[in-house]
Parts: sequence; structure tokens; C-alpha cells
Amino acid sequence: MELTGEQQAVLDGSRGDYLAKCMRWLVEWGEVMGAKRLIKVDNTHALLPVPNLMARGASKETMDQYMADLVEACSHGTHPGCTCTVHAAFVTLDDVDVPENDPEQVQMQKDLAVLAANAGFIPTFTCAPYLVGNVPLKDEILAWTESSAVVYANSILGARTTRHGTESAIAASLLGLVPEFGVLLDENRKGTLRIEVTAELEDPPDWGALGYFAGKAAGLGIPVFNGVRRPSQDEAKQLCAALATSGGVTMCHIAGVTPEAPTIDAAFQGDVPEDYLTFDAETLRETYESLRVRTGDEIDSVILGCPHASINELSKIAALLKGKKVAEGVRLWIDTARGTKGNADRMGYTEIIEAAGGRILCDTCPTNMRIPAKRIVTHGFKQAHYARGMVGAEVIIAKTDACIRAAVAGRWLGDG
Amino acid sequence: MADTIDIRGHGVVKGYAEGEALVADTTLSFWGEVDAITGKVIGVGHPLEGISLGGRVLVIRSTKGSSGTPMVLNLAQLEGNAPAAFVNVEVDGLAALGCIVNEIPMMTELDRDPFEMIATGDHVVVDADEGVLRVTPRARN
Repeated sequence: MELTGEQQAVLDGSRGDYLAKCMRWLVEWGEVMGAKRLIKVDNTHALLPVPNLMARGASKETMDQYMADLVEACSHGTHPGCTCTVHAAFVTLDDVDVPENDPEQVQMQKDLAVLAANAGFIPTFTCAPYLVGNVPLKDEILAWTESSAVVYANSILGARTTRHGTESAIAASLLGLVPEFGVLLDENRKGTLRIEVTAELEDPPDWGALGYFAGKAAGLGIPVFNGVRRPSQDEAKQLCAALATSGGVTMCHIAGVTPEAPTIDAAFQGDVPEDYLTFDAETLRETYESLRVRTGDEIDSVILGCPHASINELSKIAALLKGKKVAEGVRLWIDTARGTKGNADRMGYTEIIEAAGGRILCDTCPTNMRIPAKRIVTHGFKQAHYARGMVGAEVIIAKTDACIRAAVAGRWLGDG
Repeated sequence: MADTIDIRGHGVVKGYAEGEALVADTTLSFWGEVDAITGKVIGVGHPLEGISLGGRVLVIRSTKGSSGTPMVLNLAQLEGNAPAAFVNVEVDGLAALGCIVNEIPMMTELDRDPFEMIATGDHVVVDADEGVLRVTPRARN
């Protein structure tokens, strides 16, 4: 990779050991990924989490070293002019009555949040930064963590980001640079798999099912959806999250929706393949069934807001819950960003949800927190997929109204 | 002593490591499918479910990238439970980043099919600087 004199100097230690290490990460990663140069990045979404129960059983030395690295990162200012938001954490900063929100880890995260904010990171603590003000423009260069947000930024907003991990996003935030490879370049944004959609997609989880199916088929490629209407923001969110769950997808094209793909021809850069997969009504049904394998219908958890709920979703959930009560022994949690909850508070949704026995959880989600559950109903394919391994729960994927009916009944009642 | 087989390939992330092979023609997400502290695969129904990756030469088709991949690798490495090396058919950028940060060698583009040439339990020397895998098959009855 060719570096400018200034970049080489940073690599050689002109701005200290830590920034030299950051530069080394970007340069070595760029070389592995075939980048020829580093380019300016305008916007990052970085992961700065204490590990909470993810590090259950870790030695003190492991924790100390892990935290020392994050504190070091936050002791340097973010690059001037670069918008830097922060990904969801593994704890909530609020007081909640669950032992999984380890008070020691919460305090560490709060301390880290102060350091991060002083460094210039906006403490959004969300997996959906595009819902709380980080809305990049078409062709803007980003360095985002959170695979679902990466797919959303590339496919719905037309911005450009490869999938980042903790260290590369921190390095990009501090240096204002990213290696130029992958979907940052036009030629790597060409569709690789054509999917004709004949199923009627009615609700956000239907779009999640489409993404879950397509991600598996596309692997690391770029699926192109043809024959679908324009999704709502919530539907697009589910599609993108599911694509990044069952596969290693970085972007997709929705013909007629993705900014650079007004037509299927544009999505494939003029080279539309004859072969295609079909997502029909039967495939839609089978995709739901694949995340409904269970040994009973009693439930103990209903988890909504994966990725973090929008204000529209909170409005819908509040309307469904109004005047009802969540069944005894069922945890109904809706995960969202702190900024969105502020709006929900003012619009009265929080009061309705809490009166019914639900809770709006900020900064994190129960899967990140490792809240134990036996059987979870959720409208997020990503949540359903990961909760099985991370929490060890059985899952039932369902539309939002069926999720709320289950929460009130204390058992899965079917799609209704 | 079983015969040793050399397989040539491309060292994506340089370095040298050796260990017992763990082979599966599958993908694996470190986020959500691997416990960061024990290094065990926890993905329900995953072909490697319950098996520890610690110290193994992990021969799989590719990792399924997630932003959390490097973080899980970092914690596992600090605990001594990260894989010794990665041998992948397809390179996932986030695993590559995790390997760079944690100094774990990674190889790809092998001149022989790794799923035919390497079996779980074989001893594998990974010399990613030279681009060579040296496979010593486990003694078989």
C-alpha cells in the first residue's frame, strides 16, 4: 500500500505509540484486503463496550488488559470533522433489577462513556445509528461497526462502508482514515445473486425473512432483490439485519430503491445473470418455520426492538398494549436508543408500555446482556438467530402484533 | 510415523503456529456462535457445537463476519483460548482484522482441497510467512 509522507510518519511513531499501532492495523488490514491507499473517512460508528457477562469467568488479567486498551483508545481525540457515534453496549446505563446488569461492569461502562464523550465520541449506544441522527449522505465514506447498520448504510442510504470491527473503527475514528477496498469502490458494489421476489411482504418481519433467506444464499456476496415495492424504514432495517445474520453480506440492492440501483440492470452494472432464486410465499413460510423449532408454547420472554426500535415501532407497540397487561412471569422488553426513548417519553408511549408491564431498555439488548430465557418470542430474525446460542433459548419469530398477543397470554397463540 | 504432506497457499496474516487441526466444511460466526472465554462453539446445531477452538488450527470454509469478531478473538486470546491459526477457503475481512490485531496467522488459496487433505486431529504446522501448511496425519488404525 502506498502511504503519504504524513501517514508513514504516524506509522513510524510521530504521534505516539498508540496512534502508530492504529495506523499499523489499518495498513496491514488494507494490505490483506487489497487496498492501494488510505482515504479520508467522514463518519464512524465504533464499538467501545465493557464485555459484561460475555467475559463471565475471565481472569482479572484479561479484564484489566481489555479495559486498558479501551481507556487508551479514549485518551485520544477523534479526528476533527469526523462524526463518531457509539455502538450498543453489553449493559444498560440505567438501574434495572436484573443481576445480569453487573453493577461493576455498568460503572466501568459509565466511566468509559465519559472518557469516550470527552474524546469526541457521541454516546449513542445503539445498533441503529441511522435512527438517532447519524444519517450519512450518498457516497459518503464511513467506518461502521454493526453488520446490520453497515448493510443499511450501503444499501438504503447509498453511503459506503466495509464491515468494521472494534479496532479498525477506533483507528478510523482517531486517524480519520480507512483503507480503500471492497464496497468503497464502484466495481465491488455490483450484484452477485439475483433474487426474484413473488411473495407478498406485508410487515417488517416478512422483510427479515427475505433477508434471512437471501443472506444464507449470498454468503459474502451482494444479493439483488427484484420485484419488491419500496420498504418502510422499519422493513428495510429488518431486511438488512437478517442479511448480515445468516450471511456475511455487506450490501444488497433493491432494484428501484437502492440509490445507485434504479433498475435491476444498474444493480448488476449491466450484467444481469439469467439464473435466479425465487422467494415465494412457500419460502416465506418455511423461513419463519426455521426459527420456530420448539418443545412447547409457554413463553417467558418477548423481546422487541432488534435492531433498536424506531419511534414508529414504539408507537405501534404502545397502541397494541394500551389497556392490556403482560402475563405474570413474562418479560416484555423493547430495546431502543436513549434518544428514541426520550421522544417516546414525551409522546406518552413509555407510560403506556410500562403501565402494561413492559419495559423500554436503552443502550443494549437482552442478548448482549445475556439475560437468561427459556422461550423467546421476537420480531427480529437477528435476535431469534443469536438468542439460541448466546442465551440458550428456544425462539419463535413472529410479527409484532402476534408478539404482543403472546406477551399478554403468556403463551404462543400462533400468528392470529 | 505418518508421512507429512506439504500444502502451499497464501499467508494472509503472516506468522507461524502449530496445533491440532479442527476441520469442518462450514462457516462460523465468532459473534454469537463462539464463547469468548472458553473458546467453545455454542452455535445451536453448528457442526462444531461444543468443541473448543483453543489452540486448534481451524480449517473451515470461512468465518461469518460480524463487528464483534475481533472482540471475541481478543478476549479468547487473552484467556489463551483463541485458535492457533486460521485456514480458510474464503477470507472474511473481520476475521483477518482480528488475526492482525491478535497476531494469529491466517492462510488461504491452498493448492490442495483442505477438506480432503486435512482431517480433525492431524498435526498442522502453519508457516504463513513462507505460505506452507505442513500436515502430519494423526496415526490411524
